[in-house]
Amino acid sequence: MPNRNGTVYGLTILSPIIDDEKATPSHDLQIRQYLAGLPTDERSPFASWQNSTQGGQPATHLARLVVMDDVIYVGMPACEEHLNSKYLIFESNLDGGPNGDLDGYLRGLAETAAEHLDAIWSHCVGYPGAGNVDAFVKYMKACQLTTTFFFAAVNDKSVTESLRALQTQKAVAKFIATHQGMPAAQLQAEFLKFAADVKAAPTPRAGSMEHLTAARREIKTGGHNE
Amino acid sequence: MSKLNETDIQGFVLRGYNLPYARYVFLHFTDAKKATALIGRLLPLITTGQRWDGGKPASTVNIAFTHPGLTALELPDATLFSFPPEFQQGMRDRAEILGDTGLNAPERWDAVWQGDPVHAWVGIQAQSPEALEDAYAQIAALLTETGGVSVVGAQDAASEQLNGKPTAREHFGYTDGFGNPDYAGVERKSQPGQGKLLEDGKTWAPLATGELLLGYADEAGELPVAPVPHILASNGTFMVYRKLHQNVATFRAYLDAQTPLYGGGRDKLKAKFIGRWSDGTPLELSPDAPDQSIVLDPNRSTNFTYGVDPEGTRCPVGAHIRRVHPRDAFGFEGRLINRRRITRRGLPYGPFVSEGAPASDEEDRGVIFMALNASISRQFEFVQQQWIEYGNDAHQGNDKDMLMGNHGGRGKFVVQGDRSAGNPPFVCSGLPNFVELRGGAYFFLPSITALAMIAMGLVDPR
Amino acid sequence: MSNINGKVYAMNAITPMKPWKTWILRVFLFLLGYIKAMRADVINLSFIEFARWVVISRRGFPMLGGGQVAEDLQYDYLLFFSNFNGTWNQYIDAFSAALAKGLNLVWRWSEKFPGPVPVTLFKEYIARVQFDTDYYYTAYPHATANDLKAAHVVQGAFDGLSAQAAGLSAEQFADAYLNFVLQVQGCLGETGEAPVVF
Repeated sequence: MPNRNGTVYGLTILSPIIDDEKATPSHDLQIRQYLAGLPTDERSPFASWQNSTQGGQPATHLARLVVMDDVIYVGMPACEEHLNSKYLIFESNLDGGPNGDLDGYLRGLAETAAEHLDAIWSHCVGYPGAGNVDAFVKYMKACQLTTTFFFAAVNDKSVTESLRALQTQKAVAKFIATHQGMPAAQLQAEFLKFAADVKAAPTPRAGSMEHLTAARREIKTGGHNE
Repeated sequence: MSKLNETDIQGFVLRGYNLPYARYVFLHFTDAKKATALIGRLLPLITTGQRWDGGKPASTVNIAFTHPGLTALELPDATLFSFPPEFQQGMRDRAEILGDTGLNAPERWDAVWQGDPVHAWVGIQAQSPEALEDAYAQIAALLTETGGVSVVGAQDAASEQLNGKPTAREHFGYTDGFGNPDYAGVERKSQPGQGKLLEDGKTWAPLATGELLLGYADEAGELPVAPVPHILASNGTFMVYRKLHQNVATFRAYLDAQTPLYGGGRDKLKAKFIGRWSDGTPLELSPDAPDQSIVLDPNRSTNFTYGVDPEGTRCPVGAHIRRVHPRDAFGFEGRLINRRRITRRGLPYGPFVSEGAPASDEEDRGVIFMALNASISRQFEFVQQQWIEYGNDAHQGNDKDMLMGNHGGRGKFVVQGDRSAGNPPFVCSGLPNFVELRGGAYFFLPSITALAMIAMGLVDPR
Repeated sequence: MSNINGKVYAMNAITPMKPWKTWILRVFLFLLGYIKAMRADVINLSFIEFARWVVISRRGFPMLGGGQVAEDLQYDYLLFFSNFNGTWNQYIDAFSAALAKGLNLVWRWSEKFPGPVPVTLFKEYIARVQFDTDYYYTAYPHATANDLKAAHVVQGAFDGLSAQAAGLSAEQFADAYLNFVLQVQGCLGETGEAPVVF
């Protein structure tokens, strides 16, 4: 099914970037620069970007922003050709609910991350600003491409459900490990307490690795493609 | 598939010799001309893959080189740069990739593995300690004659002896030596379970020769990355050498502490860590008790798949042998694992101490682990990083291999079970490091022809 | 400015297609939604969190006026966005080994596609048509697709047990608890950092 898989919506947005020789640095480079400084962890605007029709929960599973400079020339005998504009790609995998609610997501975006949206999309052609939410939603939809085929490994769980499940998994593993060989009555009492704690625990922050004690490691790359 | 010229391939690659005494000698080259002359003098002593029709020799000799070693021998730059990047970098610089951090970090390695003094590995194996010393003396004499080469270290290793006969046991008490792959064209006793699975999901066939030897097609239907010129690489392979110290006291103490909580008993829990009972019986074929008749029957001892046991109730999903050789456990008739196999050689080192006797982790004992493969990064490094120090492919998240993992006191291992009292589900947590890395390197093991070219200084990139 | 965030990798690829071939691909992608066997293979490879193909025809690039010059292209383009676990090499190795036929059905319509086997040529092609991600966010960097599926199994079993736990006798609970452990025993892997990329 295009665009949707279960309750997950695959949003693909292609925004033409302003082409102005007088801009220094050029608009695409300015977008890149801004993105380079934008946090990708729990401080990301996506971590708090809510779907306004789904109770204010973070609604983005995974998302990326890519400045696409040009199409790619694969070599003779293919023809070499070029785009006349650069494009900003926004690919998001979001909770759309059973009805594929894109509007709620886009509205929530405009309401919670206006500053970042403006900083990024002000470099794109025809962008009206996030201040006018209706115009913003209309603009985004004008830039939307149909996702021809969309695959999701887990397609029926929201972001919040996933974060809570991961937390539960960790807690359960620890509980099982520390309660081996316990007499039945004691086990039951401890489990009841444990279950209450798990239910009452706050949802972990989206985008976060904070439950790990080790410091975040830098990416190291390098190796032969073989 | 071409027939292999066994006289051109070093014997160490093609077979495990089964000689119970070994000394691995590490050489450093100080003068290129003299060192290449030495290689020329060693050449007639190098054991080839030719079959022993007259019985086993008293001793065998083989040789391999690190990248610094090939550089010291003044091979042409174009050749040196054509070796795969991981071999050029060396094992120490790849430590983070391999999970060799914390207790396994290079700073803690033996002195001989600090800096880059090791240029060559000379592997001597023998039937008796006397034969070993004879072979060593012969080589040492050559070194003295030629000069330009010094011995920077030597590692002795030997099988455990029981009633005058070598056993296949290692220090934790497991019987080792199963599971080396079959390759097309390599003549040896072929066993079902050692090669790759065919489309029917039941029949086993040898792996492509190019998974072990350079210059032959591999499982992806292409020639593995190899240095130039072709003739330098062909019939050679890469060797990973790792000295693995074993904390026998910690292991025994851990097993003793867990046993009272585990309904299946000590021996079974110990078997669950690896996937075989201590005598080598695979859990998959005999989950309730060891069965020597299976071990002794080559048609059965490695002939099993995990399809009937997806939950891991016979052999735990994270058990060692299931991690390093998943067989059909990933589906797709095993096609995802055929390029991730390695040939293992090696022997235990250090004094054996029997089960009841006191042991200390400080005592110098462990196993010398050597892996032979055509591509270090695609085979050994992949298995080490993705299947030993990580568990996602086995659906075990970040959980590491129970025995080999670099746990740092924090790991866990789950024994899946069923409702029977003798096979309960069980979680081992707070795992210490049972094994610690004490050093090692990546080596290139050339063919006889390539050795001759190196000895004569005739390596010409193209 | 990385393609990687925690355990997940963002791959972007664009390949040109002669327009007469595009409709064949569209038909295939449409059918793919209904071919269970092929989807089963992708699910069993189990390291893709989300993936999509976007066919953009040569006149399909958004035109918003305001001085934007219209595109003048000969080819249609196939965009591919994948969010997968593991290294780049591991990902492509797995597809080449296990899903060659399916890959071929999608990409053979793209110019100069060499086929998924042998794998080295395939990797060279991907390296050429891949472009890099400027910003990558994931709500759960410490978890793979496998971790998530396992977590949902644990949550489901936990909800089941905690709903009935209070009303059981001690013995009944011990039995229910054993059932619970057996349900989740394959799903308890830790989450955390990914191995270092190489």
